[in-house]
Amino acid sequence: MKELEKTKRISIAAVITILVVIIALLTYKKPKHLYTVNTQQALEQTALNNFIQKSELNSETILIDIRNKFEFEKGHIENAINIDASDILLEDNKNVFETLKEEGKNVALYGNTPSEAIAPLMVLQQLGFNNVKILAVNNSLNQDKLITTPAEIEKKGENINKFIETSAKKVNELMKAKPKPKPVVKAPVKKVVIPKKKKKKMPVEGGC
Amino acid sequence: MSTNKLITPRYLFLSALIIVLAGGLVLLPKFEKQEGIAPELLLSNAISPERYISTDELADRIISNDPSILLIDVRDEASFNENTLPNSVNIPLDQLLNEDFEGYLDQAEYDVILFSNDSFKADQAWILCNRLDYKNLHVLKGGINEWFNTIINPKKPSENMPQTEYNLYSFRKAASMYFGVMYVDQVKKPDSKKAYVAPKKTTTTPKVVVPKKKKKKMPVEGGC
Repeated sequence: MKELEKTKRISIAAVITILVVIIALLTYKKPKHLYTVNTQQALEQTALNNFIQKSELNSETILIDIRNKFEFEKGHIENAINIDASDILLEDNKNVFETLKEEGKNVALYGNTPSEAIAPLMVLQQLGFNNVKILAVNNSLNQDKLITTPAEIEKKGENINKFIETSAKKVNELMKAKPKPKPVVKAPVKKVVIPKKKKKKMPVEGGC
Repeated sequence: MSTNKLITPRYLFLSALIIVLAGGLVLLPKFEKQEGIAPELLLSNAISPERYISTDELADRIISNDPSILLIDVRDEASFNENTLPNSVNIPLDQLLNEDFEGYLDQAEYDVILFSNDSFKADQAWILCNRLDYKNLHVLKGGINEWFNTIINPKKPSENMPQTEYNLYSFRKAASMYFGVMYVDQVKKPDSKKAYVAPKKTTTTPKVVVPKKKKKKMPVEGGC
């Protein structure tokens, strides 16, 4: 009898632990979106050419406008699909990207500036959509018409150090050219100052 | 013996069940890859423009010797050597996750400001760091090119612009002088001032100034 009680306890404990494990597994939510690359691989992706020029567009490239609906309706590039940048992970939109990837098509994102598109680009790339790029354009509206101009990214600007040097040079040259008038101006000033000082001292003496 | 017969099938069943459940662990390694914050959160963080700091704000903080800022140049070494912002550290984008640099990026002491030629590479660096949940990171809006256009070489506002534009211009001009830019009118101005002031002194000022000073000193004398 004693042995039977022991085995009963053991089996009850075993059943409870199994129940706990089952409940834990059932309540475990599988995350909706999974990264397919780790951060190191994501870093390597940034070194790739992530841009596509407007002239390189062809029928294999689908344009996606990541601006909001209002801006999209005001004007957009021909044949573009509107998916707001903040909605790219919604189920319907993710399905769009998945079907495009399965069909082997390229995706070009564009916004008002290329840097607007960088957030959706990097998130999509890290979720495994390697076919996504950014269309290198700047967009602006003019009288309800979309004006698209090519954009240069990470363009090297003017050299700050050189600019400062040349500005200093210019000024130095001017300083050298104008030394003569200065003493002429200063001389009368000194003469004026002296009488003032005399007047200042007078009242002070009286005070003491 | 009778008890033994009862126990064995039960144990067999239970142990089999546990083995089956253990199979569920096979699923877990798939999620181990999930490094950093959830993609949804990353997206909403990356879209938000709050990471940007304007060139004016940065200039103001540099000039006021704010000790809490740390500038990080994410361009390659050659560009960094050519020209950069004062007191910045170079962390090329391709070495961003190098262990040597982790101390600069993953910390709570400084406001780290990432910059590149425009804000593109810096944005990429920011998004990667954000996935790793690094705090206190910012991006210089427009990068070095914007810095050059606004702070180093500010554009003079035209006559029809509002007063605020003029105030901004005078701030930027003063800032550019702080960073070493010299202006031609810096030389001209003192000259012209002297030229204007000098004649006034000779003719009118002595008369005006002298009585004023006397009045000030009189009450002091009485006090003694």
